[in-house]
Amino acid sequence: MSDVKEKVLLVGDNPFHGISHLSQERSRSRGFDLTLAEQAANLVMISHRNGADGFMFSVSDLTLSILRKISEYGGNVSLDLYPIVPYMYEYVRMANRLGGIPGLAKKFARELIMSGNLKSVAYGLDAAARADPTSLTKAYLAYEISRTKSSAGKQASLRSMLIHQAITDMALALDMDWFFEVCIDFLSNQRIIPGFNTGNLVYLANKFKAWGLGLERILIAAPFNKTGFQMNPSRTECEKILSSSKSSMVIAVSIFAAGYLNPSEAIDYIATLPHLKGVAVGVSKEKQARETFKLLQGGLGLEPSGLCCPAGTRA
Amino acid sequence: MAVLSRKDLRVAVIGLGKMGLLHSCILNVLPNVKLAAVCEKSGMIRRFLRGLFKNVPVYDEVERLSRLDLDAACVTTPIPSHFAIVKLLYSEGVTRNIFVEKTLASNYRQAKELCMLARRFGGTNMVGYTRRFAVTFSKAKALLDEDAIGEVTSFRTYAYSADFADGGGDGAGSTRGGVLMDLGCHAVDLALWFFGDLDVGTAKINSLFDGSSEDSVHFRVKTRDLQGEFDVSWCKPNYRMPEVGFAINGSKGTLEANDDLVQLKLRNDGPVRWYRHDLNDNVDFSLGGPEYFREDQRFVNLSMNDGEADVNFECAAKTDEIIAKVTSRAEKNE
Repeated sequence: MSDVKEKVLLVGDNPFHGISHLSQERSRSRGFDLTLAEQAANLVMISHRNGADGFMFSVSDLTLSILRKISEYGGNVSLDLYPIVPYMYEYVRMANRLGGIPGLAKKFARELIMSGNLKSVAYGLDAAARADPTSLTKAYLAYEISRTKSSAGKQASLRSMLIHQAITDMALALDMDWFFEVCIDFLSNQRIIPGFNTGNLVYLANKFKAWGLGLERILIAAPFNKTGFQMNPSRTECEKILSSSKSSMVIAVSIFAAGYLNPSEAIDYIATLPHLKGVAVGVSKEKQARETFKLLQGGLGLEPSGLCCPAGTRA
Repeated sequence: MAVLSRKDLRVAVIGLGKMGLLHSCILNVLPNVKLAAVCEKSGMIRRFLRGLFKNVPVYDEVERLSRLDLDAACVTTPIPSHFAIVKLLYSEGVTRNIFVEKTLASNYRQAKELCMLARRFGGTNMVGYTRRFAVTFSKAKALLDEDAIGEVTSFRTYAYSADFADGGGDGAGSTRGGVLMDLGCHAVDLALWFFGDLDVGTAKINSLFDGSSEDSVHFRVKTRDLQGEFDVSWCKPNYRMPEVGFAINGSKGTLEANDDLVQLKLRNDGPVRWYRHDLNDNVDFSLGGPEYFREDQRFVNLSMNDGEADVNFECAAKTDEIIAKVTSRAEKNE
């Protein structure tokens, strides 16, 4: 798998889903017009014009609509995509509404079949017949790759696909080394950088070491911010892991600690971190989209040039 | 005090829905804990679990756990099954250290019976009122305990989610026991923790979908010195995540607390605000929120030392009692 030449700046999608980790009240009060795909697509494109290399997003009906809008209106916008799967919020909500995991499994099976993606269906049938989690993992990834690519259009590049924090951390906790191996091999074979979003960076690094899996083949998205918010077990421990992982590809998320920090103090801290390969930030206003990435470029002293991937990764 | 002599606490998790998975994961990363077995009724889920869990036996019946020399069990099945399963855990001698996800039982009569069993068998018993382990509510409790707002005179509390904001979900709400048991119980438990015993006043339950579902509940409580008001709904648009909040009035000022922040406002002073960022919210391993780690860590530590949980069966049964009284008052249109 490729190395990273420079830091990458990514626009995140949390504000488009009405997420604020500072307070729910804040997300309610800042309005929900952002959930309109067209407005969100506009913010992504403004961010791109002002320095963002790519878009990190949970794969959902909304974000797929955003990708379609970007493709429709963006013309030759060449956006790097970093989808996070699955969109856990929606799956948990569906499980609540459909009577738990069995109801959810039936719904997913129907969606898989309806997708018409032969690879997904084949893996899915194998998974059902043998109760095989490996095939299920492959079926799911194939399904998400397929629907992301079909929404994104030809100009966008599927650089990486990241496993959602809840799934990554559950797999870590349950010692599911096979799961990480399957994701890494399957995505690498698709010429997509395998990624993992985690709220437990230190635990992940230690597990990968114990399993003999190198960190250099994967992209990691993990919280880094001056307050240590969501940096478990502590800011110091997370910084130590980053310092000692020269060849890792870590993208910092939650750099503003969900709006708790002002941009300059947040960026000043991020600029001190060694070996960081990129940053993802959400924007909810046009002004923010214009200013944030300029600030990041200036603060981090970089001209973004993106992750260096093997050829043939265009979505 | 009977302290466990061996190194690892052997724990089984019963019911592998999303809460069972969450507790299994956290227990598996806690030091000195061994996830010794999981038990799940659904054959389909069991088949996949055998592929997921390394070296952890998967069983279909609780009785089969009795041969495993377990030290503790977590019951994370749907609420209507809690009573039967906890009774089995005691009667079959599976373990006397038992954690049950909230609510303790599906009615107060069952909850009282489980309290009797807990008293008879001893051990650690605890109910999963997770919000007691959230830093914001812990801070609010500390402020109340130090009389930061003086004598408390009234409070309002809400528990909202958007789970069914766009429809009834094919009756799934009824299988979850209704909104008061599913979500409102957190507000009731916190109110009991903050203010002590409460008497239920007027109550109204609304069914918004099929006539049998319990989708929003409003009721009042009182003590000799205090009046309170609860508003609970799982049909609130824009409440992307379930949220519980309190606004508390005291003789010296007001205190507001929810899942994200605490705000203290004393008379003639500006507000002082603490976000989770300010309250040391980090844990060794976070899944589903740091409070779950603290909760499981607490249960494990108590089980190892034969300790008594703050939110034990007796304490949690009071929430079941209030839910029963609210239902009864609402049925009588009181």
